[in-house]
Amino acid sequence: MLNQLTSYLHQNVTPGEAGNLVWATLYILIIFAGVSLAVILMNWGERKALAHMQVRLGPMRVGPHGLLQPIADAVKLLIKEDIMPSEADRLVFWMAPLAVVIAAFTVYLVVPFGPTHAVTDMNIGILFMLGTSSLGVLGIIMAGWASNSHYPLLGSLRSSAQMVSYEIAMGLAVVSAVLMTSFTGTGPWAAGSGSGVGTLSMIGIVEAQKTQHVWFVFKFFPLGLMAFMVFAIAMVAETNRAPFDLPEAESELVAGFHTEYSGFRWSLFFLAEYAAMIAVSSIAVTLWLGGWLRPFGTWLSGPTWDVVFSLVPGGFFLLLALAAFYNTARMPRHPMLRVQTLGLGAFGALLGLIGLLLLAPPVRDRIQDIFWFVFKVAVFMYLYIWYRGTFPRYRFDQLMKVGWKVLLPLGLAVLIATALVGVGPELAAWARGGH
Amino acid sequence: MKELSPTSHLEMEEKDKTFLDATELTLNMGPQHPSTHGVLRVILKLDGEKILGTECVIGYLHRGVEKIAEHRTYTMFNPYVDRMDYVAAVSNGLGYCEAVERLLNVEAPPRANYIRVILTELNRIASHQLWLGTHALDIGAITPVFYCFRDREEILKIFEKYCGARLTTHAFRIGGCQYETYEGFEKEVLKFCDFVDPKIDEYEELLTHNRIWVERTKGVGVITGDECKALGVTGPVLRGSGVKWDLRKAQPYAVYKNFEFEIPTGQNGDTYDRYLVRVAEMRQSLRIIRQAVGGIPEGPIMAKIPKVLKPPVGEVYHSIEAPKGELGYFIVSDGSTQPYRVRVRPPSFVNLQALDTMVRGRLVADVVAIIGTIDIVLGEVDR
Amino acid sequence: MRARAVTFVRKALLGDLFQGLAVTFRNQHPGQVYTEQYPLERPQIAERYRGLPRLHVNPETGETLCIACDLCAKACPEHLITVESERDAATRRKRLTRYWFDISRCMFCGLCQEACSTDALELSQDFELAQYSRDGLVLNRSRLEHGPETTVYTR
Repeated sequence: MLNQLTSYLHQNVTPGEAGNLVWATLYILIIFAGVSLAVILMNWGERKALAHMQVRLGPMRVGPHGLLQPIADAVKLLIKEDIMPSEADRLVFWMAPLAVVIAAFTVYLVVPFGPTHAVTDMNIGILFMLGTSSLGVLGIIMAGWASNSHYPLLGSLRSSAQMVSYEIAMGLAVVSAVLMTSFTGTGPWAAGSGSGVGTLSMIGIVEAQKTQHVWFVFKFFPLGLMAFMVFAIAMVAETNRAPFDLPEAESELVAGFHTEYSGFRWSLFFLAEYAAMIAVSSIAVTLWLGGWLRPFGTWLSGPTWDVVFSLVPGGFFLLLALAAFYNTARMPRHPMLRVQTLGLGAFGALLGLIGLLLLAPPVRDRIQDIFWFVFKVAVFMYLYIWYRGTFPRYRFDQLMKVGWKVLLPLGLAVLIATALVGVGPELAAWARGGH
Repeated sequence: MKELSPTSHLEMEEKDKTFLDATELTLNMGPQHPSTHGVLRVILKLDGEKILGTECVIGYLHRGVEKIAEHRTYTMFNPYVDRMDYVAAVSNGLGYCEAVERLLNVEAPPRANYIRVILTELNRIASHQLWLGTHALDIGAITPVFYCFRDREEILKIFEKYCGARLTTHAFRIGGCQYETYEGFEKEVLKFCDFVDPKIDEYEELLTHNRIWVERTKGVGVITGDECKALGVTGPVLRGSGVKWDLRKAQPYAVYKNFEFEIPTGQNGDTYDRYLVRVAEMRQSLRIIRQAVGGIPEGPIMAKIPKVLKPPVGEVYHSIEAPKGELGYFIVSDGSTQPYRVRVRPPSFVNLQALDTMVRGRLVADVVAIIGTIDIVLGEVDR
Repeated sequence: MRARAVTFVRKALLGDLFQGLAVTFRNQHPGQVYTEQYPLERPQIAERYRGLPRLHVNPETGETLCIACDLCAKACPEHLITVESERDAATRRKRLTRYWFDISRCMFCGLCQEACSTDALELSQDFELAQYSRDGLVLNRSRLEHGPETTVYTR
């Protein structure tokens, strides 16, 4: 086993490809912990960011500025009574949250945080991701059925219909991005000549963006952007978030599929929803936004710029630490808040330490890829919260109309256009020369 | 004899019955519900997702206000009327005081009337802001409610400084006003007008052209002007259907004759038009307030009325344009200190009848939006 | 024609959605936060606010300003005030003995403070009126004169 531990460090592939079980398990555990931490942060972030958009403060009491609120929520959910409806189908009722969670977490096997920082790199990576995330729909139908009540059943049917419809639009957008990986030309406009070989592997797609020196969102402007927008809208509908959250909206009559679930089972649905959000965001980031590549990779290239950008992760955490210290200073001087002020100061110190650690040369070169990937996914998470705060809700028939009559034709058109622009030079050459 | 139930009249006719009758469903939107604006019970008869008919069951907030009136003196009853439309309490007080003044044949002095108009128009803006926030919340936009309540706070602060209470204001008295305007009243009201003008623009930025909002509200809950007149529906619902009827212009009361303002109307009678009408009304109210503040005359604020009010035997019906429609008071006096009968014509009660017409043929998801667009307050519906 | 083209482009580029997003984005500024963190920050109460009733006493002599005219009890729509008095043999004036004010059903309409012929009865700016029992809501004369006894919590 020690051999396995050390031998991997000299290889330049993912643990899955190297067949290294120990490191693969380690990566899985790290990713699982990371995603769980991300969900916890997302819970806090959503409540605070949404509150600030609504000119209020959000949680402030449970820990300084509500930082311990997610922990309080988790404890509450764990100790809550587990209620099962008496007429419910017990096996299916128990299995449904498991199905959703397993589907949501299995997706992370191929998510690339760096050129070798993934559990494994399947050569059908993106297909695997889309397929596995679709399995979550099964869990939702199971949940609605097992509740033995017609409101959750209707809600789950609507939810699953919505998710399935938008997967088609997602798929078309993904295909046009995959098509772009086969081009050999570099820069946003060149398609290249000769037949390139595209790839479905997640790491391969980011490598293709690296070799083509352009993120696919800017390729063949505006086609890449349109494909990205189609995916961005479809992914919001896929995860049942505003403005497409009618099936789980509180003010509508039909309550969501998770009505009969309480306590830990409900928290599993919640976990799966946020994990799915992070998963589809990482698809978007990988396919169009250059995955782990740092911004301005081609325009601001060279060793000095590399060093500058490598200081960003540490600088980011130092900024957060500064914000924490600033808020510590601003805390009201009341005996009730003594412990909170201390806690916030300690938290700021912790962030500062992490920032300093990330500034150290041996760390800052290695942390770059992971940091940029996580940063881009975090931006998407903020976008999710922003949409929730701004837009009203679509009615169900309007929602389906957008999915089938707007996004599907648009995705198809973008795909055909990308293909035409891609083979354009070849067609032109063939028309001219003829062979 | 076939037994009648509350929903008998909603039974489908033979020709409407579908082949698989199992799709017919009676749904109860119970009194406790996050979005029926109070304790309103709506029984829906559905064909799948389409609505065939509705039945409203009210009375969950009935407090016997009209019965209480028979056992209180006219002055004592004044605080009770605020509690009917508790969202816009000042209008209720205005209607009642003016009705009793008609009965007594006195007129409030001009200064009191100006103060009344300013407070009533501020109250109209506050009511429409609350309506906008809760209506947007029902449709799914969760932020306008906070913006509307934040801006409404300024109005409530002015009310608090003037009469001592934010919501149940008891602002006016029979014969005029009790309180003189406080120091800096005019300045604060003008400051508020300048503050809220860009805020109304902000609400519009968020909603008016938003494609999701337009799709949720255009064509939803249509009612024609004739149907409104047949049902007795008044207020922004009537004006949204194109009928230019506003009691402030048709039967002017207080000093509305002195001010220049427009009556916004809609064209299609759908939810979107009613939204535009109410937002425009907020702007027109600001116009009235600015004109009124500019010209408050000096003078007394209370007319000469006896200490013990004993109106002569008779009856009066006086109505005003409350934010929700025509609010009317029918008071019968038998010569004693207590009224013989006070009957309130609440706009929400009459407007609620339009729910059935508006909701037929629509989907279940629209019911909540349509109840919101009628703008009802259960305190008024049930009294 | 040009206007229609502009509207079409704006619709295609999701202009209305970005407009809404801009509104919520700029309202995130910390200066826009409207929350008052009670109980650390107390709200500003207006002078005319109709809150907890108080019976004022003469600051020099400590004697009540109430002359037991009973007008407040007559003015209350809910008959929540009870005034008990006795005739002072020497000065032949009424003197207040006991006074009860039941705030459990009080509307805080202010008719009592308007009716008071002296400056005795006033609805003060106190809004924190919670009690642990229903009897605690019937205020007797001493509670009306001394005002609320608040406990300040520090933890």
